[in-house]
This record gives sequence, structure tokens and C-alpha cells, in this order.
Amino acid sequence: MASLRVEIVTPESALWTGDATGLMARSSEGQFTILPQHTATVGDVVPGVVRVATSSGEVAFCVHGGYFQVGPGEEPGVTRATVLAGIAERVGDIDVARASRAKETLEAQLASPGDLDDLSRAQLTGALARAELRLRAAQH
Amino acid sequence: MAGGQERILRRRIKSVQATRKITKAMELIAASQIARSQARIAANRPYREGMQRIIREAASADPAAARKMLATPEKVDVAIVLVIVGDRGLSGPYNSSALRAGDRLVHMLQHQGTRVRLFTVGKKAPAFFRFRGLDVEQSFTGFADRPTFADARAVAAALAAPFVAGEVQQVLLVSTRFVSAGSQVVESEQLLPLVMPNDMEVAAPTGLKGYTEFEPEVEQLLTELAPRALESEIFSALLEGAASFHTSQQRAMAAATDNADELGQTLSRIMNRARQDSITTEIMEIVGGAEALRSGK
Repeated sequence: MASLRVEIVTPESALWTGDATGLMARSSEGQFTILPQHTATVGDVVPGVVRVATSSGEVAFCVHGGYFQVGPGEEPGVTRATVLAGIAERVGDIDVARASRAKETLEAQLASPGDLDDLSRAQLTGALARAELRLRAAQH
Repeated sequence: MAGGQERILRRRIKSVQATRKITKAMELIAASQIARSQARIAANRPYREGMQRIIREAASADPAAARKMLATPEKVDVAIVLVIVGDRGLSGPYNSSALRAGDRLVHMLQHQGTRVRLFTVGKKAPAFFRFRGLDVEQSFTGFADRPTFADARAVAAALAAPFVAGEVQQVLLVSTRFVSAGSQVVESEQLLPLVMPNDMEVAAPTGLKGYTEFEPEVEQLLTELAPRALESEIFSALLEGAASFHTSQQRAMAAATDNADELGQTLSRIMNRARQDSITTEIMEIVGGAEALRSGK
């Protein structure tokens, strides 16, 4: 029987591994869904929510940009889908209070006309985008 | 006098025992860190392998685009050398062997007429290279014990910028690889242009089990992937360096503890003998005095 093995991995840990019925995410070319027997594909994942449908319900992940690869798995009939993300977390694990606090501090820092160089400004903007994405993901 | 010597010895034994307590504590701390840092290497493996898989797929699909990112340049005018060591000492040969290997590599490159820009990770590196008259362009410190991915990102960003701008043609890494708990090896390898994990020509036919789709196009994907792959490689080097550091420190501190034990034993033997000697002398003096008194009667 055709099945799909999904791995959501970050550099620090393998966030989630398991059998799934589908994987939904968004790449720079648009929304896509991976089902068992999907053709071999390599692409990017834009920051957003990645949903994994399993036989026992849906698991959602907040992925802050990364890549995905679909290919044949080790056993015949198994399709392997890997999502590689620099930063990612389960939507259920998001600390809403912390994210909104971070959002406020970052917005204040960016708004203040301080002597920020380009690098730290880019870092703050990136962190703000992550905080906003977490809040959006947690609301759904 | 004999009593004075005894006091000196007692003081030395105390100091050896105090040192032993420190080395023993450091040994135990390092030992507890080994397991943790090994677990972190294991946790990083799926990501690293996934990244290598993607690069391999992309590279075999469009060799022309891949050549730009992957081929070794024929002539290297300027090269970056990144040396990864620890923030702390007392870790046996861990720091010095990586530093010496880095020093050798720099000299070899300079001998070939390549200008070297030196980047380092770990507090122990800048002093070493400055002493040898080599300028360290940028040094990262404070995270060698427990590197996070954000640290790897910062290092990668500093290395990738001059490469992307075309200022340097090659980025090399000298670090300690954690082969197993019993063996850590200092290795130098090329970070940029990216190196295929396995030989690309060999991997190409097996990697192509069919037609692989790409979104976005391979060329664009590879350009964006290269910095991510660099981050991943640097992160795994940092993790393996940290594990090697803790292993090395545990071993060094275990040896130091053993030495302190041995020294303490030797010293207390000498002290006991000195004490016994002074007692014997005292008895002899008393007996001699009594004998003299009796014969004088």
C-alpha cells in the first residue's frame, strides 16, 4: 500500500517523524499538497504553517522558511517527504504571551530612531516576522 | 630540622588534594557534557543528511548551474580559513592540535601565493595566531561549549558575504571531528565552493530515479541553498567540536586526578617516614640522656 513518511527536521532536532496521509505547505510558487506516490520534487518552503494530515488528525507546524524534498523512501511503496527548516515549532507549542511580548519589544526597537546598522536591523526585522507568524499560526 | 620538613610536606599534600578536588569535579562535569553533546550531534544528523540530499538532487539535475556553486576554482587568489577551537583550556591537546593544523594550512597556502583571511571560533584561537604574527580578521567566542544554530548562522553569514561578493574564491575549515568517544581527528576541509558529500559523478545516476521537479528553478534554488548548506556544515562542525572538547577535557582531567592521587600518596609516604624518623631520634635522645644520668651516679 502506498504510504507517506513525513519528516519535519530542524538543525537542533527532528521535530516530527511519522506516517501521514498528506502534507500541505506553501512554496515560493504557491500552495502545494504532497500525497503518497508524489513525484520526486525539491523546492523551498516560505514562512507559514505546514500541515501534516495523519490518520489520527492533523498536526500543524510553524515553519520559518526552509526547503522540502520528496523522493522514494527506503522501502518500496513509501514516499518520503522531508521538510528542512532553520527554525520551526509545533503550533501547539507556541507561547502566545511570549510571542506578543517579543513583537511589542521588537516593534519598539525598530521604531526608535537609534543608530542601528543594517545587520542588526535585518536581524530585528527577521525576529519580528517570526513573532508575527507565530501569533498568526496560533490563532488558527 | 625534621619537624619543619614534616610541616612543609603536610602543606604540599593539602595543596595536591585541593587540586585533585578541582580536577575531579571538572572531569565529572565534562563527562556529563559528553553525553549531551553527542545527543546533539545525533539530533542534527537528519537535518544535515536532508540538506546534503537536496544539494545532491539539485546538483545532478543541472550540472551547469551546479558547477558555479560546487566546482573547485582553478586559481585561488584569496582564501578564508576558519579554525574552530574551544573557549577554555585544560582540555589536553584539543585546542593546540587544531590550532597547529590551522597554522600549517595557513603557511601552506601562503607558500602557494594565496592571501589568507583568518576567521576563528573559540577564545583560545586569537591569542595563538597573534603570537605567531597572523592577523585574525574576525573571531567568534562564547559559544564553543554549547553552540546553537543561531551561532552557526552568524559565522556562516560572515564567511559567505566575501565569497558571494567574489572577494575570496575558497573557504576552508579546520576543526576537530568527533569520530567516536575514543577518537577525535583534526581535519581540514573545503566549505565553499560546496563539496558534494559523496562523489557527485558517482551519485548522479542513483540520485536520478526519475525526473525530479523543482520549484523554483534549480539555478535559483541552488543559489539560495548554498548559504543554508554552509550553515548546516558549520553547525555540525561546531557540534562535533564541542563534543570533542568535552571528551578531551574529561580525559585530561581524569589523568590529572590520577596524577594527583599518585603524588599525594608519594608525599604522604615521605611525610610518614619523616615523622617516624623524628620520633626515633627523640627516643634515642631520651634513652641516651637516661643512660648518661644512670652511669653518672
